[in-house]
Amino acid sequence: MKFQIEDVTVYFPYDHIYPEQHAYMVELKRALDAKGHCLLEMPTGTGKTIALLSLITSYALSKPSSLVKLLYCTRTVHEMEKTLGELKLLHRYQRLHLGDAARTLALGLSSRKNLCINPAVVSAENRDSVDAGCRKLTASWVRALAVENPNIPTCQFYEDYEKAASDAVLPPGVYTLQDLRAFGKEKGWCPYFLARHMVQFANVVVYSYQYLLDPKVAGIISKEMQRESVVVFDEAHNIDNVCIEALSVSVRRQTLEGATRNLNKMTQEIQRFKNTDAGRLRAEYNRLVDGLAQRGNLPIGDTWLSNPVLPDDILKQAVPGHIRKAESFVSLLRRLVQYLKGRLETENVEKEGPVAFVGSINAQVGIDQKTLRFCYDRLHSLMLTLEITDTDEFLHIQTICDFATLVGTYTRGFSIIIEPFDERMPHIPDPVLQLSCHDASLAIKPVFERFQSVVITSGTLSPIDLYPRLLNFNPVVSRSFTMSLTRDCICPMVLTRGSDQLPVSTKFDLRSDPGVERNYGRLLLEMVSVVPDGIVCFFVSYSYMDGIVNSWNETGILKEIMQHKLVFIETQDVVETTLALDNYRKACDCGRGAVFFSVARGKVAEGIDFDRHYGRLVIMFGVPFQYTLSRILLARLEYLRETFQIKEGDFLTFDALRQAAQCVGRVIRSKADYGMMIFADKRYSRHDKRSKLPGWILSHLRDAHLNLSTDMAVHIAREFLRKMAQPYDKTGGSGKKTLLSQEDLEKVGNGSLGEMLF
Amino acid sequence: MADGQVVKRAKYKSSIKDPGVPGVLTMTREKCVFKPSDPSSTAKLNIEFKSIKGHKFTKEGSNKHALLNITQDQGGNYIFEFNSFPDRDVCREFVATAIASSVEAGRTGSERSAVPLHNEQLSTAEMERRIKLLQEDSELQKLHKQFVIGDILSETEFWATRMKLLDDKASRKPKQRVGLKSDMIFNVKPSSDGQSNRVTFNLTPEIIHQIFAEKPAVRQAYLNFVPIKMTEKDFWTKYWRAEYLHSTKNIVAAAAEAAEDEELAVFLKQDDILVNEARRKIRRVDPTLDMEADEGDDYTHLPDHGLPRDGSKDVMDSQYEQYRRSFLQDLNRHAAVVLEGRAIDVELGDTRSVAEALARSKQVELANEASDGNVNQERLDRISRMAEIEDLQAPRDHPVAPLSIKDPRDYFDSQQANALKTFGDTLAGTKQMTSDLSTSEAYGSLRESISEIKAVGLRAPIVKPEVALKVLNGLNQNISSTKYQIGKNAHESVLDRLPKITRDELLLHWTSIQELLKHFWSSYPITTTYLYTKVGKLKDAMSKIYPKLRDLKESQSDFRHQVSLLVQPMLQALDAAFAHYDADLQKRSAKSGERPNGF
Repeated sequence: MKFQIEDVTVYFPYDHIYPEQHAYMVELKRALDAKGHCLLEMPTGTGKTIALLSLITSYALSKPSSLVKLLYCTRTVHEMEKTLGELKLLHRYQRLHLGDAARTLALGLSSRKNLCINPAVVSAENRDSVDAGCRKLTASWVRALAVENPNIPTCQFYEDYEKAASDAVLPPGVYTLQDLRAFGKEKGWCPYFLARHMVQFANVVVYSYQYLLDPKVAGIISKEMQRESVVVFDEAHNIDNVCIEALSVSVRRQTLEGATRNLNKMTQEIQRFKNTDAGRLRAEYNRLVDGLAQRGNLPIGDTWLSNPVLPDDILKQAVPGHIRKAESFVSLLRRLVQYLKGRLETENVEKEGPVAFVGSINAQVGIDQKTLRFCYDRLHSLMLTLEITDTDEFLHIQTICDFATLVGTYTRGFSIIIEPFDERMPHIPDPVLQLSCHDASLAIKPVFERFQSVVITSGTLSPIDLYPRLLNFNPVVSRSFTMSLTRDCICPMVLTRGSDQLPVSTKFDLRSDPGVERNYGRLLLEMVSVVPDGIVCFFVSYSYMDGIVNSWNETGILKEIMQHKLVFIETQDVVETTLALDNYRKACDCGRGAVFFSVARGKVAEGIDFDRHYGRLVIMFGVPFQYTLSRILLARLEYLRETFQIKEGDFLTFDALRQAAQCVGRVIRSKADYGMMIFADKRYSRHDKRSKLPGWILSHLRDAHLNLSTDMAVHIAREFLRKMAQPYDKTGGSGKKTLLSQEDLEKVGNGSLGEMLF
Repeated sequence: MADGQVVKRAKYKSSIKDPGVPGVLTMTREKCVFKPSDPSSTAKLNIEFKSIKGHKFTKEGSNKHALLNITQDQGGNYIFEFNSFPDRDVCREFVATAIASSVEAGRTGSERSAVPLHNEQLSTAEMERRIKLLQEDSELQKLHKQFVIGDILSETEFWATRMKLLDDKASRKPKQRVGLKSDMIFNVKPSSDGQSNRVTFNLTPEIIHQIFAEKPAVRQAYLNFVPIKMTEKDFWTKYWRAEYLHSTKNIVAAAAEAAEDEELAVFLKQDDILVNEARRKIRRVDPTLDMEADEGDDYTHLPDHGLPRDGSKDVMDSQYEQYRRSFLQDLNRHAAVVLEGRAIDVELGDTRSVAEALARSKQVELANEASDGNVNQERLDRISRMAEIEDLQAPRDHPVAPLSIKDPRDYFDSQQANALKTFGDTLAGTKQMTSDLSTSEAYGSLRESISEIKAVGLRAPIVKPEVALKVLNGLNQNISSTKYQIGKNAHESVLDRLPKITRDELLLHWTSIQELLKHFWSSYPITTTYLYTKVGKLKDAMSKIYPKLRDLKESQSDFRHQVSLLVQPMLQALDAAFAHYDADLQKRSAKSGERPNGF
């Protein structure tokens, strides 16, 4: 359908639209017009993604002179693929209506590991080896050598891509990672470098959060984006954690040992170069006098992860004199490593701010703050000079320099925590030095400054006023939408007791109680016999899941569960989990039915949808609080209290409940879908916990469902499933419209729609 | 085979001594066609199975020819010689089924052509099947006795309505492939005698099959070790020892044991075959699920970057890594194997053959995957389907085929005529209401009465109060008495409360009436004299039952009310049948007045 929102003609690839999608677009359009940031919460299952894509692309089409470009950030690669899938649908529709005027280029961007088509390189185990394998074939000096010596291997795809030079372009269209690989294979061009090149010309770029948030990656990928671009962070309820993680580093004994090995290797290399090609080192010295700004001119094959802080100011300065010489820089790093080793020897837990830490470094080994800041780039320059291609071997020294640069740059919002052992296992010495970031606004600040419109959206952003504080920005639009349902297709319940009326909880004192484990098991057992197709269970942690599954196995509950449905489990091995998910879907497709055990805050909870028959019921066993004894968390809570006046308890509850809401929210994809959600913990019945759930869940949580026992829940589930099996009128019948056709939209016009809805 | 056709090389012989004409024999459902290799030959044949009465064949033997002799009901016969006995047997079976089905078709057809059916030829097998059915079902036997022996229905008629029963029995395959159990049966607890440290495991073939299916390394080890290196018993002892070591979760101990005993190490180490399989499968996984790709894109979690997460802490020395195995992995693996289903068709007795068959099936699977190119396309289609939001879009392709009527008017006119005819049939005698009111007149009168009611209101009640009260009382009394009789137990049926004799009688009448009515109504419209006599017979039989029912209804007993409630619908059904019969008869006689030589 095609309709007007003020001056923009919106192309929407379906015959109908949900009223909330329309309202969402209106708000989004206002934010774009105001050239400001916005914060939008809309329940899952109302088609956020397509509404976003459809409005922003239509906006760009209606204003061809503007440079509006969409940078769409997803948390995971599989979400990227899903988004591109929806974009394809939209693009097809726009082409149908506008013809060639709708020609756009949209592509997904990922690492070499996911894009490389050179079989010799891509078969490597992990990403770092693929990156290094690629560099070994494509670094400028390797290629220069290969010109003289044909025995030196190069990558044919990269060579062909280089040869094609400016002819190597992607024709307009929508490219998923798979499409990119297929295109690359067909043309014989390297898809990774092609994609990186085409990012500048693309109208829509879909990539992972880190490509914008993590300065290490953003520095090379996203540096050439126009200010007019619209940045979207989808599923952004965890964005503060992503920001924090991007700026946190930890150092262990193994890291320091590895770093020492790296330094030895480098010393050897320097010696070799001194004997053979002393001019190279001298040239580097001269270059460093002028500053590091040459980075932009490096051949594309030579770049790698960039500075961990956005290096705008660093690049323009000259590198301090005493680290311009290669040997002196290496010896400085040796001193730093030695100092860190000494700090790790501690027997007590220590906590320091960055200022004190830098002061102590300066006092003990004589490295000042400014020098520390340059460490990462100086290392980078040195490794290029030494023509090191196996970068995966040098990760440890990179970590140390990362650490040094971060600690030298920021004076607040960080703390350094040294723990001699993990307090869960006090008898095993495992010293670790953690530089942890507490302030999410540090990493996202450059994004807000560089781009005129940043859209932060998710199904769970409650309380919506907290995010601007955490991220330190001023949205022009901040709005939370409710969901108008045709029928009560979601059924949240709070289960507080087992059939024997004993309370269930994952609270610390009840957690390993056999009665609670048994009650949880009986709950699942009752549910698998009632609910058809797929059931998803979320546990509070891996260790808890492992424990309870083993206990169910011993008591025979697991066996009984397996008589009804197959059981699949998320493990820490991603390959295995992916295959388990694939099999889970197969089992649901073929009608056998299955249960999937997963972990809140785990990888599955982060982005796998369990919509339609893949998830008719989610059970959240317990409240997924963070591990509250963790010192990093305590330090962060302290920082939040001092800086933003956010109480510890409030933040912990907020964080646990957004995870829980996120887990259960994965069951609904559209209004035709339906699913039940069971919050199985007595603590959910308390008002202070429950009220932190997003509004769209709360509005369906009836008072009668707040304090259920297992048998009552089973009864409600039966009733609900029977009700959902009845045919119904999709448009919402005579009352409120929940599905609008084109005529409906034209009839009500733009203005009155909002009032009709809410 | 039964639904397709059979093509075999054969020689056609006019007699057994004849050397025969070589050619190709093609058999379809309806006929068999013989085409000689030499196109000029005249020995072309085209035989319809309808005309075939039976077939004979030679016994299998070393010095005999593989012959098939097809007999036609006019007396002719055709002899074919096949190259081999298996070829012949395939054709023989085909001919047998084809003849059987054409007999059936002939039977239904013959009813129409009014050929009396008692000369039907029944194969002994068919006869046996019917007898067996009768023996199994006493009710059926009773009916059969009552109607067939009582000469109301012929044998064929009786069975014609039970074709399904016969077919089902015949076509039911005795062998069904059994899936795998959802249970992890190999996860057995050992039984111990309680005194010594000795434990005993009981292995069944089913358990061994499951172990082999889920742990290819064990399967491979079995093929490699048994019986050259160790006996079967030693093998399993080692296996369970390894399992025991795993269950203690003491990885270091497991590693130490494995270092000493290389056969034991096979069980303790990670399953390489599985790892490879996983690597292969991950490439064809749905990209919207692929979390491995995600890991490849995650620059935050560089080693030592980011915040440590729950569980990621228990990193351990790489030398023990390969001995790590969790129960959760086993669960996933088990579910995956169950989902794949039973891949082999071997008796589970012999351990070695099971192992070999499983290994073979894996290889076949591999080969299939390699050759399967369009899986990718399917996957992409799936993704684009998944991307759509279902209720925003009208469903794309309806699963229902659209009704295609060439000439709509023709179709609807004929439908109307049909409807009228049946209407006339059932309500023969009652006149069709005709009205010569025009639409405007009707509308006017309707409006008038509406406005009158609007003005005056409904003054006179539609039903008189006393009548209404009477009806209400009558109904209530019935209901309350029934309630009283039946009691509070809702599950108890009315029948259970009746005396046994009455109940049996009722049930017998009920089934026989059903049977009769079924035949009765299926005989209409009467087109042949055969049907005419059949209907007559049926009507007589029904009218014999009718007074019995009435007696039952009127008999004085405590349960009179219940019985009459039960009998009433039966009587009504019979009344309807009689009425229809009479009406039909009248119509027929009226017609025969015009057309005296109509049947």
